[in-house]
Amino acid sequence: MPIFRWGSAFDAFRDLEREMDRWVRSVDSAFEGLRLGRPFPALNLSEQDQEFLITAEIPGCDAEDLDVSVANSVLTVKGRRTPGGIPEDKYRRSERPHGPWERSLPLPERVDDEHIRAELKNGLLKLRLPKLPTTEPRQIQVISDPQPGESS
Amino acid sequence: MTDDLAARTPQEDAAIAAQSQRFVRTPPIDIFETEEGLVLRADLPGVPPGGVELQVQDNRLTLFGRVERAETDNSALLHQEYHNGDFLRSFILSDDVDHDRISAKLSDGVLEVTLPRLPKAQPRKISVQSE
Repeated sequence: MPIFRWGSAFDAFRDLEREMDRWVRSVDSAFEGLRLGRPFPALNLSEQDQEFLITAEIPGCDAEDLDVSVANSVLTVKGRRTPGGIPEDKYRRSERPHGPWERSLPLPERVDDEHIRAELKNGLLKLRLPKLPTTEPRQIQVISDPQPGESS
Repeated sequence: MTDDLAARTPQEDAAIAAQSQRFVRTPPIDIFETEEGLVLRADLPGVPPGGVELQVQDNRLTLFGRVERAETDNSALLHQEYHNGDFLRSFILSDDVDHDRISAKLSDGVLEVTLPRLPKAQPRKISVQSE
């Protein structure tokens, strides 16, 4: 009877992975908002019955400055935030990100590119991406070549 | 120079967070000097007009922004980079800020608070009476 099994060894790795994930997340949320270099804008992606909803936190951006595109199931959002002409030496604190930014997000499945709706309100961008109707599974016939002259 | 806009202790923030019973996060801010005083800008994405509470008590300025929820309840979150929650941060104002003239406006999820300096006291002439 084997004492060591590869199968259970990998289970242990998964446990470790989960623990690490949990730990990293807790550190993350403790420093959220104060940590520099976090992605801007922050994106959340959620799935509903008929559509995907992407929300992005883009405060202080005009709708005209935003560029949203979808290609090959990858969503790209581009824009810029202008600092507003205040000289650097006047700042006592500067935590808000400035300048041009770009984010890409792979989508979980194909979406209806033609009917994407985008709305910018109170600094929150909402993108509704309708799902494409799922295609029926198609049966593919497997033809087995009859072997002539084979007998046992 | 003393830091006239010092943050509040985490314990005090936690006490306010417990009152609201919702996830609370710290918004990033900019503070810069102008001719008239200081201007504070805070990123509050998702906070509607009228959703901000600004309070000055003693010399402490507290800002609280209530966020409208974007997702409906039957949605499954697949990818998350931010937590839904309200914004809370507070500052200690220096003595030369004119508390009565503090003004604020919210546009596109950015709150701008103007903190004017107190006008300098005018020299007062004291007449000397001679007998």
